[in-house]
Amino acid sequence: MSTDSNDSTAIDIHSRGPLLLLLASGVLWLVISGVLALIASIQLHTPTFFADCAWLTFGRAQALRETAFVYGWLANAGLALGLWIAVRLGGEAMRAGNWVVVGAVFWNLGVSLSLVGIAAGDAAGHTFFQIPSYAQPLLLVAYGAIGVAGVLAWTGRRHETGFASQWYVFAALFLFPWLFSVAQVTLVWLPVRGVLQAIVAGWFAQGIYSLWLAPLALACAYYLLPKISGRVLPAYQFAVFGFWTLIVVGCWTGGRHLIGGPVPAWIATVAIAACSLMVFHYFVVFLNFRSALGTKSSALYFTSFGLLAYLLSGLVEAVISLRGVALYAQFTFVEQAAQQLSLYGAVSMVFFGALYFAVPRLVGKSWASSFLAGGHVSLVTVGVVLLVVALTAAGFAQSQTMFGATQPAKFADVASATRPWLLMATAAQVALLLGNLMLLVNFAQTVAALVPFRAAGNPVSRPALKAVLS
Amino acid sequence: MKNGPLFFFGLFASLTFSFAGVVLFSNYQLGGLAPYYDDSEGKSFPERLPGVAARGQMVYRDLGCIACHTQQVRRPSFGNDQAQGWGDRQSVARDYIHQPYPQLGAARIGQDLTNLAGRKPSALDAEDLMKLLYLGQGAMPAYKFLFQDVKVSGQVPKTALKLTGKNSPSPGHAVVPTERAQVLVAYLLSLKTAYDYPESRPVVKSAAKAEGAHQ
Repeated sequence: MSTDSNDSTAIDIHSRGPLLLLLASGVLWLVISGVLALIASIQLHTPTFFADCAWLTFGRAQALRETAFVYGWLANAGLALGLWIAVRLGGEAMRAGNWVVVGAVFWNLGVSLSLVGIAAGDAAGHTFFQIPSYAQPLLLVAYGAIGVAGVLAWTGRRHETGFASQWYVFAALFLFPWLFSVAQVTLVWLPVRGVLQAIVAGWFAQGIYSLWLAPLALACAYYLLPKISGRVLPAYQFAVFGFWTLIVVGCWTGGRHLIGGPVPAWIATVAIAACSLMVFHYFVVFLNFRSALGTKSSALYFTSFGLLAYLLSGLVEAVISLRGVALYAQFTFVEQAAQQLSLYGAVSMVFFGALYFAVPRLVGKSWASSFLAGGHVSLVTVGVVLLVVALTAAGFAQSQTMFGATQPAKFADVASATRPWLLMATAAQVALLLGNLMLLVNFAQTVAALVPFRAAGNPVSRPALKAVLS
Repeated sequence: MKNGPLFFFGLFASLTFSFAGVVLFSNYQLGGLAPYYDDSEGKSFPERLPGVAARGQMVYRDLGCIACHTQQVRRPSFGNDQAQGWGDRQSVARDYIHQPYPQLGAARIGQDLTNLAGRKPSALDAEDLMKLLYLGQGAMPAYKFLFQDVKVSGQVPKTALKLTGKNSPSPGHAVVPTERAQVLVAYLLSLKTAYDYPESRPVVKSAAKAEGAHQ
């Protein structure tokens, strides 16, 4: 992959309006989801917190946090970074930037509407699928508008390249609408019967991670790490096998949450086998990135941290899906810890890395404050590690008092055993929120540099850009 | 991967494959699951929820009770759900066929509620449940917004909670459940897995082995 050239600089400046809009919305949602996560976390050890407020029962706060995080932060940031990579690797200026702006506005209206709806009690009620039925079509259409730029980046690409980052970006961009619309039809418009809903929801939730979020994160990593470290990725010829393993096998692992549940046993068995097969994918990712990791810049540090968390999450999933382990890990905070490890530790951290790399190039100016960037790095690192450790420990304590008992467990015992760890998880949420506030301020100050000259529109006209590119 | 159409065909084939395998195949297996007709009892199981309980399930769903409570009991040989008193038999797919929104759940911050109203030796009754919702207990918050503090002159309403000590309302007042609380409790009281389906009986290992030995 070539290093930054005049071409990329021109392309970046041309496409910065829509991309910065997506990134700004993403960072804003990140802070909002942080506040919601803090509320939900406090409620776990102090049930009286907001107990009088029907809008913020624990169940609703949890759904709100998850939706703001996945569809607010990860979706906006992932789409921005994915399009950025797709356009840069295509070697052509971004086309349909206006569509992206319109799509981004409606996507974020849709997410806002969803949050109000969930707080009012209209959640669809499945993991990663809490969006109320009336907001779903809006989100799908808005995604379509944003996706136009992706389609045009693919059809108009100048180089017939075979970069791993490209496969991952386009897989993510194009698989989400299908996944999301299938889930809408089978869960909302023509709902399947009984436990089939849980099976579909498991398939969908896994698809959101394996076919959308993880590929977007991997695209960022495959694009950035060789660039930053200046090294060729070893064993790159195997990347293609890693890619297809994730795409083909990923979705099959969804049934692991239904082990021992009222569903046919083969669903769990297939999921366990698929989790083991996925170890091959993680192994390829490890082979590719083993020498590119580092801590020299914020971008490199976050991406490396994210990749390590990604590998760890793959191992953890393979282990806790085994029946003997699931017996004790199921239904406990261990599952939440694993989810936070993949969503926050892996995907979100890689996105942070790519954000630190992309924003200065889009704005044409380095980050406003290195103090805020440093603060963000340390607080988020502490927060993620503490959160995952605390939830895991809480899960062990919970499992011991609940599943270790030979007589009815007293839930007061469970609560007192988990309380210290849940307090620690709240401390972690505070650190994460503070860190992300620093990111928001830093981001706003950096982007504000554009304002005196002109609104963050298209400062380079298409004909002028064409001249640069040709 | 220089061949664009082939690349996209591969993507869609992969997703279709998992959709067909996981969703369509299980739908083929379970989609036609019918209630089980018991000759000796002369009716079929599971029974439909009475209307008021079905409305209660909507309240259960919209408050997000599923975030802390599961409604699926694991089989006696897999985990200690039976020892917890949550149910003597495992939950099976047939239990949920009449439910528009099965609330299987994925976290047990609180108890499993599959068989809440069928617990032995004694299950909570409506009054206990109302008090539990109003006062909370341990990690369970008090859902005071499901109740109203009303002024009473003369006769106290029949539905008023019988509260004592520091929880009792100020003189001349009574705490009465809202309609939402009433349907929610009706739903909770309908949570029973009293009937044993053939597929819910655990496989007895020794019997299976003995059968194998004969062959």
